Amino acid sequence: MSSAPIYPAQPENILKGLGKLWTSLGQEESHQGKPTVIRACAMTLIVATDETDCGFAASQMISELMREHPSRGIVLAVDKSAEDRLQARVLAQCWKPFGKAQQICCEQIEILSSPDNWPNVGPTLVGLTVADLPVIFWCRHKGALDVSATRDQNAGLEVILDLSSKVIIDTEGEDAASSFALISRLRQQGRIVADLEWARLTFWREAFAQIFDNRARTNKFSNFHTIEIVHTGDKVTPGASYAAGWFASVSRANITLRRTDGFGPGLHAIRMLSEGETITFERTGPECARLSTTTGRERSYSYAEPGLYPLLHQELTILGADRAFDAAFSRAGEFVR
Amino acid sequence: MSVAVIPNTEENVLQDPLRFERRVPPCAIVIFGASGDLSKRKLLPSLYRLFFERRISTEFAVIGSSRTPMSDDQFRERMKESVSKFLEDAPFDEDVWKSFAQCLFYVPGDLGNAESYDRIRQKLDEVEKSHQTAGNVVFYLSTQPSYYAEAIQALGEHGLTKGNGWRRVIIEKPFGHDLESARKLNIEIHKVLDESAVYRIDHYLGKETVQNILAFRFGNGIFEPLWNRRYISFIQITAAESIGVEGRGGYYQEAGALRDMIQNHLSQVMATVAMEPPSVFDADNVRDERAKLLRSVRVMKPEDVSKYAVAGQYGPAKVGGQDLPGFLQEPSVSPEAQTDTYAAVTFFIDNWRWAGVPIYIRSGKRMPKRVTDIAIQFHAPPLGLFTQETKSGPREARPNLLVLRIQPEEGISLRFLSKSPGSGMRVRPVSMDFNYGSSFGERSPTAYETLLLDAMNGDPTLYTRQDMVEASWQIVQPILDVWAHTKFDFPNYPAGSWGPKASDEMLARQGHVWRVP
Repeated sequence: MSSAPIYPAQPENILKGLGKLWTSLGQEESHQGKPTVIRACAMTLIVATDETDCGFAASQMISELMREHPSRGIVLAVDKSAEDRLQARVLAQCWKPFGKAQQICCEQIEILSSPDNWPNVGPTLVGLTVADLPVIFWCRHKGALDVSATRDQNAGLEVILDLSSKVIIDTEGEDAASSFALISRLRQQGRIVADLEWARLTFWREAFAQIFDNRARTNKFSNFHTIEIVHTGDKVTPGASYAAGWFASVSRANITLRRTDGFGPGLHAIRMLSEGETITFERTGPECARLSTTTGRERSYSYAEPGLYPLLHQELTILGADRAFDAAFSRAGEFVR
Repeated sequence: MSVAVIPNTEENVLQDPLRFERRVPPCAIVIFGASGDLSKRKLLPSLYRLFFERRISTEFAVIGSSRTPMSDDQFRERMKESVSKFLEDAPFDEDVWKSFAQCLFYVPGDLGNAESYDRIRQKLDEVEKSHQTAGNVVFYLSTQPSYYAEAIQALGEHGLTKGNGWRRVIIEKPFGHDLESARKLNIEIHKVLDESAVYRIDHYLGKETVQNILAFRFGNGIFEPLWNRRYISFIQITAAESIGVEGRGGYYQEAGALRDMIQNHLSQVMATVAMEPPSVFDADNVRDERAKLLRSVRVMKPEDVSKYAVAGQYGPAKVGGQDLPGFLQEPSVSPEAQTDTYAAVTFFIDNWRWAGVPIYIRSGKRMPKRVTDIAIQFHAPPLGLFTQETKSGPREARPNLLVLRIQPEEGISLRFLSKSPGSGMRVRPVSMDFNYGSSFGERSPTAYETLLLDAMNGDPTLYTRQDMVEASWQIVQPILDVWAHTKFDFPNYPAGSWGPKASDEMLARQGHVWRVP
């Protein structure tokens, strides 16, 4: 991590620190008399985390995302080891495209807060968002999202939610019923909510959508009477419920969920059955998947367990309403057991 | 419990355009000239990439055809080598290749041989069943342009232009050698195909940054009011290559820079920069506006050619310690060749928007660097309040300049004046930059990926239409005619320079200078 100076986390101090940072970058990086640093910013990306690494993983992810989603990144780490007052430091994340002279830089603010100070982060954050650009909140603060969250934890969360145009959570590995209750509550408050567990399904959904791009099959979509969703793990995951909810939102087929010991975690296979044809899309190995039909089509896919980067990339690309997610979510609860 | 409202439609209800990439309907692609360079370097790597990204349907097949005798497996093996070698910024995946290779077939044959077409038809029937391609076929003529008319006629005679699905034919430039041959080619094509089935590829139009010109102009409200003679002084379009003819001396000797670049790529770029806004962003409306613009370009009188057009040819030079040959010393080039390896032209557009605004276009080989950009020079302020410090003392401040960079550092820069820090009111130009690569870090599709996808989707917006081709020949034809009867004193610029002196003089007559890109 950077050895940047640490400030008391007041917006003016932090913004002044950012100003100095850009001035020094401009001076250091002069090349043949031309400035070689470009400042890029398309949004404010706030990440709140209560992980024990003081925001290290979140900072790394922001730095990876900056190529496709340049932002003012604000990492708000809540940790018991933090001092009483909020502390902040500023740094720049830079990269140089191959063969190019200019460096592209994004600014990042790291704020360290003790759990006691978490409800007080609001006034600091309000002064730090970039004007006229979207504010995206990626919440990795499990404690604040938990049903047993304290009043203070809720208060801290609410302030950030109010600043944000979209909130991103990840329900992977969580209990589906309580995850869906949380999302419902946030949606009822009028917030745009995204779940990375839904984004994990894109690969699967896209494969099935592609099959029905063929007009000959599109006409037969309603002939598929059964859709079987096969998942690993003992409980129905939020992901499996979303998959079922998605099919339920577009089809009248009978949708069943079944567990297996196949490749996972999460979905192992999806099978669509009609009188004339069965279509199966399944994991066939740790890094491959296969689509096959009983009418003779077969195709292999390179499959990589989606990491956080591609999932966040998907969600940061969609800033408004996501109708497919809304429709799937409205039915997903029916499949929670 | 909520009840699903299932749309009663033939549309694919599983589609999610917010998250899924646009993909193509089932189809087969027949590539004539499949063992050629274009197939190996561009077409197959692009198709593989689209397949890898799952943008091509599972119901898909490629049928390669050329004179080289090969089996399906040999063709697959050769293409595997090419794809893994020429794939741009993308990984090669062995498993995905195996699936892709199952879609590759080969039919040996000669374009002049009737049996070849029958064999292709048989193969198409086979893949329509085995790969469920729905009878949709794209024919890609990656052959010598002189075969286009003959091949298209044969496709018609053998019933290949009709079938259970749609049929489209892609041809590569040059579309004719001059206006007359272009018209003749179009007549021959239209005997067999409707214009809507003809896709004339101009890979420049497929470049992301050329497409971005449309987004820049028509997606933003602040530029269009300035986009006219009242605010713009002149426009310069530069397409410079640092390389020479690279083994294509024989072809290039017959073509030259004016035919090879300005007649097609750069006139289309000019049309994109200067066209009127279409009322709807669809293929017909966009192409109507491009064609209208090209028809508005003033056609030179023969006596004006020497004033508004300059031909150049590079001579030998030492660059970076290396001896570079002149054009006449290149292999397969006649020592007497009068080929223009550099061409610069001043065009005027006779419409209300652009009347009196010169549009300078230059293209050349063996220039100091590879660069393509469009520079839009605005008028100076009506009253020069500030001077700018230069090496030779103060001078009137430079006016605003907007540069649309097509390659290699794709982006947009706006030059404007800013006060220099310190006391006194001294100004200096600064640049506000938008860098395409940095704002959109994701990999941009190559021009061929974009254009192949468009052809399979039936979107000809980025393809040139018959009237556009003829209009662009119309504006260069007088220059070609005069140059054909001129004995030039070539070479007239050394390799590694920005072109002949006469080109600078052409601009100087208008009171302008070429900018150094």
